[in-house]
Order: sequence, then structure tokens, then C-alpha cells
Amino acid sequence: MRTALNHREPDRIPLDFGSTTVTGIHVTCVAALRDYYGLPRRPVKVHEPVQMLGLVEDDLRAAMGLDVTGVFPRKVKFGVPAADWKEWNFRGLNVLVPGEFRTRTEPNGDILIYPQGDETAPPSARMPAGSAFFDSIIRQPEIDETKLDPADNLEEFGPISEEDLDHIDRSARAASTSGYGVAAGFGGTGFGDIANVPAPGLKNPKGIRDVTEWYISTRTRRGYIHHIFERQCEIGIENLARIHARIGDRVDCIYVCGTDFGTQTSAFCSVATFRELWFPYYKRVNDWVHKNTTWKCFKHSCGSVERFFESFIEAGFDIINPVQCSAAGMDPAALKRKYGSRLVFWGGGVDTQKTLPFGTPEEVREEVLRRCEIFAAGGGFVFNSIHNLQAGTPVENIAAMLDAVHEFNGVSHA
Amino acid sequence: MLELEKLHEAVIEGDWKTAAAVTRIAIAAGVAPLTIVSGFLVPAMDEVGRRFDCEEYFVPEMLLSARAMKASMEIVRPLLTATGAEPVGRIVIGTVKGDLHDIGKNLVSSMLEGGGFEVIDLGADVAPERFVEAATVHKANLVALSALLTVTMPWMKTTIDAFQDAGIREKVKIMVGGAPITQQYADAIGADGYGESAGSAVALARKLAAV
Repeated sequence: MRTALNHREPDRIPLDFGSTTVTGIHVTCVAALRDYYGLPRRPVKVHEPVQMLGLVEDDLRAAMGLDVTGVFPRKVKFGVPAADWKEWNFRGLNVLVPGEFRTRTEPNGDILIYPQGDETAPPSARMPAGSAFFDSIIRQPEIDETKLDPADNLEEFGPISEEDLDHIDRSARAASTSGYGVAAGFGGTGFGDIANVPAPGLKNPKGIRDVTEWYISTRTRRGYIHHIFERQCEIGIENLARIHARIGDRVDCIYVCGTDFGTQTSAFCSVATFRELWFPYYKRVNDWVHKNTTWKCFKHSCGSVERFFESFIEAGFDIINPVQCSAAGMDPAALKRKYGSRLVFWGGGVDTQKTLPFGTPEEVREEVLRRCEIFAAGGGFVFNSIHNLQAGTPVENIAAMLDAVHEFNGVSHA
Repeated sequence: MLELEKLHEAVIEGDWKTAAAVTRIAIAAGVAPLTIVSGFLVPAMDEVGRRFDCEEYFVPEMLLSARAMKASMEIVRPLLTATGAEPVGRIVIGTVKGDLHDIGKNLVSSMLEGGGFEVIDLGADVAPERFVEAATVHKANLVALSALLTVTMPWMKTTIDAFQDAGIREKVKIMVGGAPITQQYADAIGADGYGESAGSAVALARKLAAV
């Protein structure tokens, strides 16, 4: 993986599933994969409950032939520690969830979850009956323009605690001796990530928390947003410095930000807006990282984002994910040709909107081999599907995907 | 007409306060509600859609324009109803069961309303029977289904089947859209049309409604 991140061609394409919350596997698929590879049956840990991602443990990592492991924050997005695991029946599948993970099932089958496990607070997310993920419940206080205070949108961003540092230190030490490449997500440097704007981990979020209102604010309340990002950037860099003082260079790359700038056919903003509103903060974070550490900087953005790539590179991002080749203007060969020597493509391996969930194993194999052919040359490629493996994906297709990468690599697994 | 030109501009610029104020003045001055809609709101939202399609506008600008259009429409709509004016079509719209994502659906809903359609927006996580019931009650001639997730896409087919089962499939045209949806998928599940973007959804709805 390190060879690939340094744009040198490794002996084989490195594979990642499960090292970050955007390259993960739905818990139902993790359970299916464990069965598929004949691993011991046990409840899978849901280590990211918003998207219901299952933890990829070492035995499954080995069976799948993966090359990367992850370091995650102490708390999950609902504000509870990823600890004191307890069993939970998820639509008939016995899984493990954090001890303070508290939910209520409504008469219609919807599941509501409480922030920080506090059942006296309004629930912060809902999983509709028939769905397999939580979506934030918008809790937008009435907006009084004269009283808007950026501090209200900064409640979730604060100095990292000793407890959090200890956790990251322990996780990074274990990961760095595992023999795998290490991707780390510390949190705190996601600027305006729409998944986090509603603050699913806060009991009574204040400020701008409604998704529509936030998007509108990037146009009409730009000073307010700058103020939030400015302070968040300062806090984020201070936290990174404290983390680095503890873990040094035990991780290879860090997940800086998951704000989506692309839609299926277009973008959420112009390049000019990106450069005015986001670029300065990304550059400060990435510059600090490059000046003080050996870490590579990982940027996630779904959708049609080729137009931002030059700015991403200039802002200091080393890695782009998920490389949504199905979106407009995201032709894999063109991307590799134009940016392949300057950006690591961590993703793009197979389409998860169509081929992987709905195609045949042979169609999956053909697409994976084509993508490997395009992306592998000269390094700069970590194989991952385009975003997390979603619920309902046939395990045979996931296996066909992995087999195809191993076939390309000329190695056999499982 | 000078004041009403300001309405056109306010919608394009996403200035909801001016849009509402100009609409009130126009109504007070005796301008026909239908003139406000077809003469100003529809052309303004067409222009917003054009700017979105050619990437002069993005999601925030679309949301702002939609808000301005709605501010005007809220004043005009009761008056339109009172005059008995018929919309260009009645469309029931919603995100399918199990799916709570509604930004795209809301944009399409606003564009359709700004395109002169009467829009019955059922929100997100809408069960098939609710689509059928709403289409029946409101005598809709169009139904628009949205989905973002691959796990909820199959509800589009279930919903179309529900119209079949209720015996009213021939009475409505059903259009589908959302990030993972393609023309191929729309054809496979028996939808009448697929819209790739909010702008194209309006053109599609007009075509399906034979406007």
C-alpha cells in the first residue's frame, strides 16, 4: 500500500475494505462474507452505526486478501463510545452494537436512535422499516438571523480529550504492528460534511442544522460559514498536533474530509465557490500534515468532481475516494491519464449502484479487471469499490470482485 | 408590468422576500393570478432550470430560487384555486418507501411547481399504497418516484405494480429519478419516463402530460 501511495507500481494492487467509514462493508454483508469464507459464526460489531458498517476483523481481512486496517475515533457518530458491546437484533441478524447504543422501534417498524444514548433527548436519527441505514432527523431550531452565532455550529468540534488520545494511541500502536497499511479517521476536519451538519451525536443541536438551510447558507451566509470553518480549522490542527505527538508516524494516511462536492450529473457548487469557501481551510490542514508528519491526506467526495481535482491537488490532498466513475465526467481512463501521477485513486474499482448489487458475478469480474487494467499502472491505486458495500449486495458478487482483483494480481486467496 | 419584472428577477436571484412583496402588490393591483404564474413564475423557473443545466447554478442557488417561487406561489395558489384555473397537470411526487433522502425530490418538486404543475408532495419514505391513494384522491395524471439508495430502488417497481393492482395504471404516467436510476432501469420496471436532472424532469413531465 505504501508503494502505491507513493506512486510507484507495487507487485500487486493493494486492497482495502473496512479501513475507513467510506470504504466499509454493511454489517449484513460482513456476516455473509464470514459465512462465505467459512469463518467462525459470531455477531459482527457495528462499528459505524449510521451506515451500519460491520467491523472487518483480522480473520476476514486475511480471507479477503486485504492490505489495510483502520484507526477509528473513540466514539461513533451518535456520540457513544465504541465499547461495552452488546447484542442487538438487527432485522433478524444478531449483531453487536456499542453498550450505550439505545433505540426505540415505532409501531410502523421504523427504528429511532438517541444521541449519546440519552432516551430523554429527542431521537437524532431514523431507520425506516425496509431500510438498512440511519438518516439524521433534522432538529433545526428557529433561525433568528440577528442571533446566529457560529459557536452554535462548533459544539461538536472541541479540543481532543485525553481519553480520546489514549484510544487513538492504543489503536494506532496495534494497527502499526499488524503488518497492514494503516488508514486513520480522527474526525474534526470535515468542513461542512452534510452527513454531520445535523449533528446526530448532539442532544440539542443549535445553529444551522437543516440540510437545505445549510446548502442555502453556503450562498447567503458565507461569512457565518467562514467563521465556523476558520475556528474548526484551528481546533482541528491543534488536535492533529496533539495526536501526532502521541502516535507519530504510525499511520500512513488520514481521512481529512468527506464533504461531497459532486452529484450524479453535476456539482454542489462551482469551482470558484469551492476555492473561496473550502480551499483555504483544506490547504491549512494538509499543509500542516505535510510539514509535520509523513501522513498522506485522504479526501472523499462522491459524484461528478473532476472539475475540483486540480484544486484538491493544490490544496494538498494526496488521495481521492471513491472515484465515482458512473458520475458525469468521471471516465476512469481519462482520470488516470490526467491525474494518475498526482492523485492516488482509492476506489473506482467497481460500480456499487448497478454492477455490484444487480449484475452477475461475470459482469462484476469483467468490470473489475477493466478497472484494474486502467488504474494499476504506475501505482497510485488502492482497490476499493465505489463507496461502501451496500446492504443487499449478493455475497457471490463481492467474492467475484475480490477474486478478480486477485486474478489480476496473479495470486490466489481463500 | 415593471413591478412584475421584479418578480421574475427575484425568483432567479432567490430573493423570497421581494418575490412575496411584488406578488402581493400585483394581486392588489388586480393582476390575474394565472398571469403571475404563467407569465412570470414559470418563465423564471425555466430560466433557473436552464442555468442549472448549464452549470451556472448549483444546488444552493436552485434551493433559493425554489424558496422565492414558493413564497410567491403561496399567495397566488388560493386565488388560482378560487378561479377554477386548471394546472398544466397534477403530479403526485415522493421518495419511495424506506428512503428518507429528499433533496433531489424537493428540487424536482419545486421545479415542477414552478413549471405550472399542481404538485402533491408526499415527502419521503412513502409506501406504494399512499402513492395510489393520493393519485386517486387528487385525480393526478402524473406520478414521480425518487430513490437514492440501491436498497430502496426496488420499491419503485413495487409502487408501479401497486398502480397496476389498483386498476389505475393506465390513468397515470409514472416517471422515476434519483442518483442510481438509469433509463435502462426505468424501462425494466415499466416506468413511462426517466429524468436525469431536475431540469429534465420538468421537460419530461410536460411531455408525458402532453402539454
